[in-house]
Amino acid sequence: MVDMSFITNWLMFAAILGLAALGGMFSERSGIVNIALEGMMLMSACVTALVGGTSGSPMIGLIAGLVSACLLGIAHWALTQFYRLDQIVSGMGINLFAYGATNFIALSFFKPEVPNQFLPIPVYFWCALIALAASWFMFNRMRAGLRLLAIGENPDKARTTGIEPVQVRLWALVFAGILCGLSGALVVTNSGGFGDNLTAGRGFIALAALILGGWRPVSVAVACLAFAAFEAAQIQFQGSPILGYQLPAAFWKSLPFLITLIALAGLMGRTKAPAGLGKM
Amino acid sequence: MSIVALEGITQRFGDFVALDNVSLHVRKGDLHAVVGENGAGKTTLMRILYGALTPSEGRVIVQGQERHYRSSREAIADRIGMVSQHYAIIPELTCLQNLMLGAEPGAFMNLRQCEDRANVLAEQMGFTFDWHARAETLGPAGAQKLEILKLLWRDAEIMILDEPTAMLSPRDADALFESLRKLASQGATVILVTHRLPEVIEYCQRVTVLRGGKLIDDQDVQDLAKAQLAELIVGHALTAFEERELPQGETALNVQNLVVRGDRGNDAVKSASFQVRKGELVGLAGVDGNGQKELFHALMGTRGFTGLANLNGEDLSGRTTRDRLAAGVRIIAEDRHAEALVEEWSLSDNAVLGFQRLPSFRVGAGINEATKAERTRQFIAKFNTKCTSAGQAIGSLSGGNQQRFIAARALGENPSLVLAFQPARGLDIDATRAVYQGLRDACSQGAGALIVSFDLDELLEFCDRILVINGGVVSAPHQKERAEIGQLMVGAI
Repeated sequence: MVDMSFITNWLMFAAILGLAALGGMFSERSGIVNIALEGMMLMSACVTALVGGTSGSPMIGLIAGLVSACLLGIAHWALTQFYRLDQIVSGMGINLFAYGATNFIALSFFKPEVPNQFLPIPVYFWCALIALAASWFMFNRMRAGLRLLAIGENPDKARTTGIEPVQVRLWALVFAGILCGLSGALVVTNSGGFGDNLTAGRGFIALAALILGGWRPVSVAVACLAFAAFEAAQIQFQGSPILGYQLPAAFWKSLPFLITLIALAGLMGRTKAPAGLGKM
Repeated sequence: MSIVALEGITQRFGDFVALDNVSLHVRKGDLHAVVGENGAGKTTLMRILYGALTPSEGRVIVQGQERHYRSSREAIADRIGMVSQHYAIIPELTCLQNLMLGAEPGAFMNLRQCEDRANVLAEQMGFTFDWHARAETLGPAGAQKLEILKLLWRDAEIMILDEPTAMLSPRDADALFESLRKLASQGATVILVTHRLPEVIEYCQRVTVLRGGKLIDDQDVQDLAKAQLAELIVGHALTAFEERELPQGETALNVQNLVVRGDRGNDAVKSASFQVRKGELVGLAGVDGNGQKELFHALMGTRGFTGLANLNGEDLSGRTTRDRLAAGVRIIAEDRHAEALVEEWSLSDNAVLGFQRLPSFRVGAGINEATKAERTRQFIAKFNTKCTSAGQAIGSLSGGNQQRFIAARALGENPSLVLAFQPARGLDIDATRAVYQGLRDACSQGAGALIVSFDLDELLEFCDRILVINGGVVSAPHQKERAEIGQLMVGAI
């Protein structure tokens, strides 16, 4: 039953979710609610494919994708920190913008005759592992991480020790952009080309993993592995009968979301959000 | 020579002059107190020295050099540190993280080295810390110690402490001053903003008195008496609050084996038994968070309890807050904004709060406007609430004036039991006396009062009898005597 394709799919989905969730972690531990993970992933997926194909260089494509996701992250930062827009509203706006913009780009600029150029998938897998180790190290052993945590817990008190929250949050959202960008690029690499709404809500599953993991790097990674297992199982079991019954494909496709819902309903409230989440 | 000299400091905020040509000279190695009433400009002056405010006029001279700080960062670089009244400790971080925050040794932190240095500093002060425990496990005294270590971590030599003992028990406060003395003997200079005069007399070498933004006096503490200092602060002679015989009225409130459940499922009040007689002001001494709030809520009917609570012979259990208000239970609530006022409403609308169902206030389903106007006038007049009109939104008054109004309201409409949570919060010396006199007057007409304050000296001065609450346990000291009560407050007996 369990074969190599299951394992590779599992690890790949875990990397997709993990990169996005760690990105979300940087944002939320700095105190900015970020439901825009999905939008940043989608934008990066689209731009990576477009620039990679047209330039002929997968590396340039990836960098362009990361930059596009970072720009959305910075937009979220500017909207919430300078224009004091509600953080949920801003995140929603960015998601809608990314959805519309990528749809437009896909229809207007993609040429079927240009072949897609992507970096190999293992690159992203290693990126995810490095991101996990680096974020743990940062939170526990680095000045930048300590300040980030302090701001996320209590921005006012952090300010009295001479830290400028708005400045630190800019860096947090740039990090979020890079990580979500990597996640989006992996999604498009895996599918082989861009299509409308390609990320299909994975940014929200990553957000759920972030919440279940209690905003802590290692626990978040474990939550991502768990969710990814269901995604991989979905592919594995789709079409094969279970105890003689042929379950509809729609059931298998909805399985990861169903599990997310159950997990959130059952386990939410046992983890503690950063106390300053959503505060200025 | 002065290590710190502030000369001719004037600070204006718009048209308001917070400080008017004030000078402050602090000698190296002194514990220097800055005293004055609320609004005298103490904290403003300290914020100027700390670089958090730029003065409109005047010179800041530190270690003989004139300075123009644009931010606290520059003052910190000059080895000035400040602990403000509200601690800057973040409960979710560990003690060590809090210690380092904002002054980390570098981009990368070697935790072992950091911990070693932290231990050296702690030992120097005679403190011990579990550095990897979360700061939320610290009590107020531990948090205060950590704040002081934060100053040492930043190599501060000039330390500004704003109301450092406001949240401490007398014993912890004494320990704090021992530590400060030790620091001073090692060459540090401590500038202390306080309103607790006994501390100044006992521990400080020099005192600066401010009143209404002006420098009133600057002198050595030696051979200065507390009464003298109090008169300098208020600007006129004070007569001692008249001691009196313990009132021997009937029992107003009788509490037996009262247990009140806390928010975390623990027993916030543990089997409390005590009485308050008619005519009596009973002070409830204790450090914040030891069950005072829960006890008051239980007596007011906003929190359940088990055990017995009788008011004038009637059982309170099962009686709603509405019944209790009708029976004359009044409260000066702990949280003014959450529990006592609707800030957007006028003074006259706030005057009705809690009384809306009393016959005197009611006309059918409406409010008797004549009574309302009359009572509003009385409440304003009682403790001199400063306002432009009865229609002014109460939120636009200063905290002290809001407190005056609330205190007056709690004493209105024939109270039978007044529950006063820090009745003098934010009030100056004169207003504090007026409020306690008002409590005494209300009690002489048959009420009893139970008064919570975190300032033991206040209770000792104004109350007839004192109970102590520590960890939810209420105990009665043998005498109204500071040392014994101080020990009871921390459970040392």
